[in-house]
Amino acid sequence: MKRTIKYLTVAISLFTIHHSLTAQTPDQLFKAAGSPVNPKVAVSWNRYNDHAGITEICKKIAAAYPDLAKLQSIGKSYKGRDIWCLTITDFKKGNADSKPGMYIDGNIHSNEIQGSEFSLYAAWYLTETFADTKFVQELLADKIFYIVPTINPDGRDSYFHEPNTGSSPRSGVIPVDNDRDGQVDEDGYDDLDGDKQIVSMRRKNPNGRYRVDPTDPRRMIQVGPDEKGDYELLGQEGKDNDGDGQVNEDGYTFQYDPNRDWGWGWQPNYIQGSAYKYPFSLPENRAVMEFVMKHPNIAAAQSYHNAGGMILRGPGDPNDLQTYNQQDLQVYDVIAKKGEELIPGYRYLVVYKDLYAAYGGELDWFYGSRGIYTYSNELWTQYLMFNKDAGNDNSTAYNFDRYLLFKDAFIDWHEYDHPQYGKIEIGGFKKNFGRAHPGFLLESDAHRNMSFTIYHCYHTPKLSVDSIIEKDLGDGLKEVTAVIANKRLMPTHSSQDLKFKIERPDYITLSGAIVVAGMIVDNADLNLTTEQRTNPATVAVRNIPGLGVVTVRWIIQGSGKYTVTVDSKKGGMVSKVK
Amino acid sequence: MTIQMKACLFCAVLFSSVAMAQNNYSNYSQQANRLNTLAKNYPQLAKLRVLTKTTSGKDVWQLTLGSGDADTNPAIVIAGGTEGNHILGTELAIGFAENLLQGSNIDSIKALLSKTTFYIFPNMSPDATEQYFASLQYERQGNSRSTDDDRDGKPNEDGFDDLDGNGKITWMRVESPVGEYKTHPDDPRVLIKADMGKGEKGKYLLFSEGSDNDKDNQFNEDGEGGVWFNKNLSYKHPSFTQGSGEFAVSENETRALLDYLYERFNVYAVLSFGTNNNLSSALAFNSQAASQPVVAGWLQPDVKADSMVVDLYNKTVNLKDAPKTSPAGGDFFSWAYFHYGRYSFSTPGWAVPKTKPDSAKGEKAFAADDVGAHYLRWTNQQSLSPAFTEWKQIQHPDFPDQKVEVGGPDPFALNTPPYKFVADIVKKHSAFLVKLAAYQPQVDIVNVKTEKVGSLTRITLDVINKGALAAHSKLGERSYWVKRINVKVNTGGNQSVISGRKIQLLNSLEGYSSQRLTWLIKGSGKLTIEAGSPTTGSKTIDVTL
Repeated sequence: MKRTIKYLTVAISLFTIHHSLTAQTPDQLFKAAGSPVNPKVAVSWNRYNDHAGITEICKKIAAAYPDLAKLQSIGKSYKGRDIWCLTITDFKKGNADSKPGMYIDGNIHSNEIQGSEFSLYAAWYLTETFADTKFVQELLADKIFYIVPTINPDGRDSYFHEPNTGSSPRSGVIPVDNDRDGQVDEDGYDDLDGDKQIVSMRRKNPNGRYRVDPTDPRRMIQVGPDEKGDYELLGQEGKDNDGDGQVNEDGYTFQYDPNRDWGWGWQPNYIQGSAYKYPFSLPENRAVMEFVMKHPNIAAAQSYHNAGGMILRGPGDPNDLQTYNQQDLQVYDVIAKKGEELIPGYRYLVVYKDLYAAYGGELDWFYGSRGIYTYSNELWTQYLMFNKDAGNDNSTAYNFDRYLLFKDAFIDWHEYDHPQYGKIEIGGFKKNFGRAHPGFLLESDAHRNMSFTIYHCYHTPKLSVDSIIEKDLGDGLKEVTAVIANKRLMPTHSSQDLKFKIERPDYITLSGAIVVAGMIVDNADLNLTTEQRTNPATVAVRNIPGLGVVTVRWIIQGSGKYTVTVDSKKGGMVSKVK
Repeated sequence: MTIQMKACLFCAVLFSSVAMAQNNYSNYSQQANRLNTLAKNYPQLAKLRVLTKTTSGKDVWQLTLGSGDADTNPAIVIAGGTEGNHILGTELAIGFAENLLQGSNIDSIKALLSKTTFYIFPNMSPDATEQYFASLQYERQGNSRSTDDDRDGKPNEDGFDDLDGNGKITWMRVESPVGEYKTHPDDPRVLIKADMGKGEKGKYLLFSEGSDNDKDNQFNEDGEGGVWFNKNLSYKHPSFTQGSGEFAVSENETRALLDYLYERFNVYAVLSFGTNNNLSSALAFNSQAASQPVVAGWLQPDVKADSMVVDLYNKTVNLKDAPKTSPAGGDFFSWAYFHYGRYSFSTPGWAVPKTKPDSAKGEKAFAADDVGAHYLRWTNQQSLSPAFTEWKQIQHPDFPDQKVEVGGPDPFALNTPPYKFVADIVKKHSAFLVKLAAYQPQVDIVNVKTEKVGSLTRITLDVINKGALAAHSKLGERSYWVKRINVKVNTGGNQSVISGRKIQLLNSLEGYSSQRLTWLIKGSGKLTIEAGSPTTGSKTIDVTL
């Protein structure tokens, strides 16, 4: 009898395991619009993954869709973790790395974790919906996505696995002597009660300036100027470890800011607090830079941060206004305004003006140095709690936690005997609340942000040889005029790119005939042309404008078939035979 | 073949190591040889290492001079080859090391090396400096990285051409009614700009020697190129200009140097040899530039320190004819101050002397003060043969119907002294550096007083800087790559600090200044108090309670 029961238990548990690992059978499922009904790679989009978790999801996607996804490590972090890049495109169509590219990364700040899930969601969604979504098929025929879920894997794991607040660490983990006393990381936060969370400290004090909120005893409120309080706040959990009279002044959680380490308008740490040594002095950023330099087809980029519900563009540097010129701002504005529509609660803002001056940021390097149209979305906004503007009052957060999360996000105040402060209380919101999405809102916001990023990518250049018109000039000569069109919003060279000749010109080549002369047609109706005297078969045009055309002309000898090929670094390759 | 060549190179190195005194500037392998000889002959005082390699595989050396644990003593950085066409700089850096070590049995030098460390980077542009010794000589600054200088997608399609076949890239003047240049009124070999604002008319177009190889109406705009060390650093990086690199600190040479220096908290001053000059003439304080959020001018106390060091330099070296300069951005001199936060000094080491007319020879004062004219007159007065190519007419394919002549000052002529002057220049700069080291900040603890307060002891003392330079530059006080002065009270078992801080950080101490500190201590016996920082050294005292 006993044996039978055991046997049965094993059988049942095996059955359960089997079931949880594979999807339900297709006939049990009914497709919700816009989502893959029976994905090959099962991922729960209501939780977070550490670096090992991300690695596993990346590998599964690449294994499940070998014709759509390839996984590579673009470099190693300071501690030797791989920085994974999933390349998503239809590898059966065209030459992958010459298609117009969209680069996406997340998690540059260690605690800004959901950028990784959001970018992974895009990789997952594009592969899982490819089979039955025509739009995705066309998109992946034309474009390529380079998705790097975390460009700061050391920081990510340290945020998850070490005691932290929701705001720490922002930094990576290379040690820095913050207080310049010659010792490194000698006095950081202390997880006094050993619960892997760094929350707040408060102490009863008849002369304190705070009191407990009578409507929610978890919440501390500042008393009015003429009121008496009974509590004081003592900052984040910690003590004076090195006896220098300061608490938490030099810890591993605030070494430097990886988003002040990029090679455009970089400034040292006394001007730009928390800059490291020089542009790309952090190995993770260096890996990204090297990848981008090797992929000049990247025409658009997104770097996911949190929080605040923003679609940000540069400049971060108030002295860099001229870089963001009018023509390029038109492109930025059109795409970002669509983003505001697609992601309720998110606003289109400019870093230096609406946030703060930030020198050496990632988005400024992508645009200023490489000419790539780039946004940083600040993911998560309190708007999403009750689908309305939450204002500046933090009572919204307490209510949301109380009624929708059932107080899972809060550690109740409890007593602690502190070596310096004596009898205190410790409590506050856990690190997974405040900046990271709560689970049930993660997938929906990931989807909306991905949709914006797809729209962004969709508007990278799409070139075509629209028409080839011949005219007989006599004496065996033929005039061939080709109109090359760009069907999308972005030009093949942003204005910033044109200004500094960042990328080479687009080459339009006539092959298969003897070319006697080549020229750019400035005005076809009035026959205004500019001849290119050297190498006339390949006419170099500086730019093919967004939703516009360029016209080129050759004088050729002889008859027979020939081909017109357009070769653009950011616009891809197209050709037409005549 | 390769093996054979290597073997030959080895022979050459061996040979020159036993060879007599230098009679010309040292090329790459001679530099290596001189440095290795120093490291071998002075193993207690000189350590040579390869900082990094350039993309072509040349070593970038780093020589540390100092006794004991050199990284714990306050240090001066010396850099040569910051500009690849400044050949003298490398000679000065190596020559200083040789001079100092040769004198290292003298007590004063022994004492110097026991309290000051010199981090010497003799040649930061080893790819470029070799062009001085190459069969085709031109003033190269770029390293061996392949660059597309005119950013047209085609690499190196239009470099220099040695049209007259003399092994030097000089100049090319083309007679033209729209020329911007005219001949110097006192020396027709020299071209100067016509002042069109004053109604002067030019006669020549002036180009560097070459052809328009790619027929784009520009001359020599995209040759071998490379990234210039002195345009690749992070202060005001001149992005998208020739030689700057795709972003600041993009090169092996710059990265390795900065990685090394940022971890050397003991460095208080940096001396670079190159065209920038704040040693023969002092910097002026510009309060507006100094107070911008992105600091663009030296802070006032640092300008004062510069002026003190200029005084020392002019008394020791006397280089009054060196021109004032304004750094172009991306340069090492500016980086060392603005981004590294250290006292930064730079000198060309030599300049073409401003000549006086020799009335016996019928010379008169120049109507136009031009360095080329001075150079020719100076070499004449010194009976030197000038590094100058006489203008000679050639047939130029790009100017079929115009008179084209090739000639003018040879490459390096105007910034490189004839070698016979080098020993004296090195000697003077060595003397200057020894005196500069005597300005070093140094922490001491003086006026220690203890008094009883009941059963407690009050300790009062002064932490002083007995050096002429502040513990850190004023700007450096703001940087977290500069350590503060740490004052620690090391209490024992029954002792505790009742008042005053057990550990406290002083931001800095000006030159010849002091700060009074006081504590109340409970307990008995002895304790120690320690004050110091990497740039000042440290001092520990015993106090009996």
